[in-house]
Amino acid sequence: MNVFELMMEYIKEGRVKIDREKFAGKLATVHDPCNYGRKSEKTFGHGYYDEIRWITDQICDTWVDTYPTRENNFCCGAGGGAWAMPYTNERLYYGRKKAEQIADTGAEIVVAPCHNCRDQIMKGLTKDFDLDIETFYLWELLAESIIVEPWNEEEVEKAHKESEEQWERFGVELEDEDEWTPPE
Amino acid sequence: MSQEPIKLGKRESKLRVDPKWADVCLTCGTCAGGCPVTGVDGMDPRKAVRMAALGLDDELINSRFPWVCTLCGRCERACPMGVEILAMMRKARGLRERDKVPGPIHKGTMMSMERGNNLGIPYDDWLFLLADMSKEMEDEGFPGFYVPVDKVGARVISTVNSKEPFGEPDDMKFWWKIYYAAHESWTVSSENWEGVTWGLFGGDDESMKEQARRVLENGRKVKAEVLLLPE
Ligand code: SF4
Ligand code: SF4
Repeated sequence: MNVFELMMEYIKEGRVKIDREKFAGKLATVHDPCNYGRKSEKTFGHGYYDEIRWITDQICDTWVDTYPTRENNFCCGAGGGAWAMPYTNERLYYGRKKAEQIADTGAEIVVAPCHNCRDQIMKGLTKDFDLDIETFYLWELLAESIIVEPWNEEEVEKAHKESEEQWERFGVELEDEDEWTPPE
Repeated sequence: MSQEPIKLGKRESKLRVDPKWADVCLTCGTCAGGCPVTGVDGMDPRKAVRMAALGLDDELINSRFPWVCTLCGRCERACPMGVEILAMMRKARGLRERDKVPGPIHKGTMMSMERGNNLGIPYDDWLFLLADMSKEMEDEGFPGFYVPVDKVGARVISTVNSKEPFGEPDDMKFWWKIYYAAHESWTVSSENWEGVTWGLFGGDDESMKEQARRVLENGRKVKAEVLLLPE
């Protein structure tokens, strides 16, 4: 199962409830990640184009496709490990196509279902091509729009017991005010 | 490219995915027309295919093109003859000498093999971060939330993209919130939790297989039904 199928399962089975007011009145557009689209289509015979749109549709009132779209969509420009390579200018040069596509839709929200794509659109293209957009992971869009009901006392108690046991087992002790710093 | 006449040897190539290649490509240029990096270094996918077909393997392997190419696959999708341009590009990457792989891709791949994640985040730091953030989540309106680690019997086991714990830990909370709301039984691994396969980008098939094996092994250990790679 992949991220789309799991999110769809939660929505269809009513395990998460969506507040459609959250993004009401904002025009959204979706990006097709190469790995879930073309590559998956070739490797597994199925490209995840509809799933991305279905989930977006559950959350957003209005969304439009870019042109071209789906299997002919442009890559964000950061595929193939481009974030880990020294070819920044080339990455942004490639991305001009994506930036044009996005600008043409007039959308305020861009839904990017993959890490690479989201970083490229949010941290690369938005600035370099002066885009007036907000970029979300697809699961971020869902997380931001679900109505969270706190667990009941019994569940909370059970979870506390489990977590205490777990951290003890791993020997993790939290001191107050202790900040985690990333390793060198 | 060199001005010297190029001598063509036997028509065999390390890069050709299929021996019939040279004859299959129509040199129509459809691939080049749809490729957003056409023109960079005077290259395009049609030329790359020609180079492989003509046996100019080393020239292609040592050029920047297979790395500037994002492996997006638009070229291949459009090719009327089904030439496997992507497979060729990955092969070209894989045949680059490992110490000449651009950027930290090779280093990250080796790091992942040694330490279980591309960025070398230590075991203790990982667990501490999860414990600390679990508490944070509780304070943010998710009472009872914690990150289950190596939890046997969890339905869903998820990998993690190491850039998140490294640089944007709060982004891990999106999925956490969804799991919380859905009352999901889920878990992450204490070791070998990396979900990004840099071996894929470096053309390093062996490391790729090893990483996949570890992830599957983690899933088997906790008897999870669903393996999630939120990439
Ligand atoms: S689209 Fe296919 S047939 Fe046409 S030049 Fe490219 S590889 Fe050759
Ligand atoms: S896979 Fe590479 S060569 Fe083909 S269209 Fe994309 S960037 Fe161009």
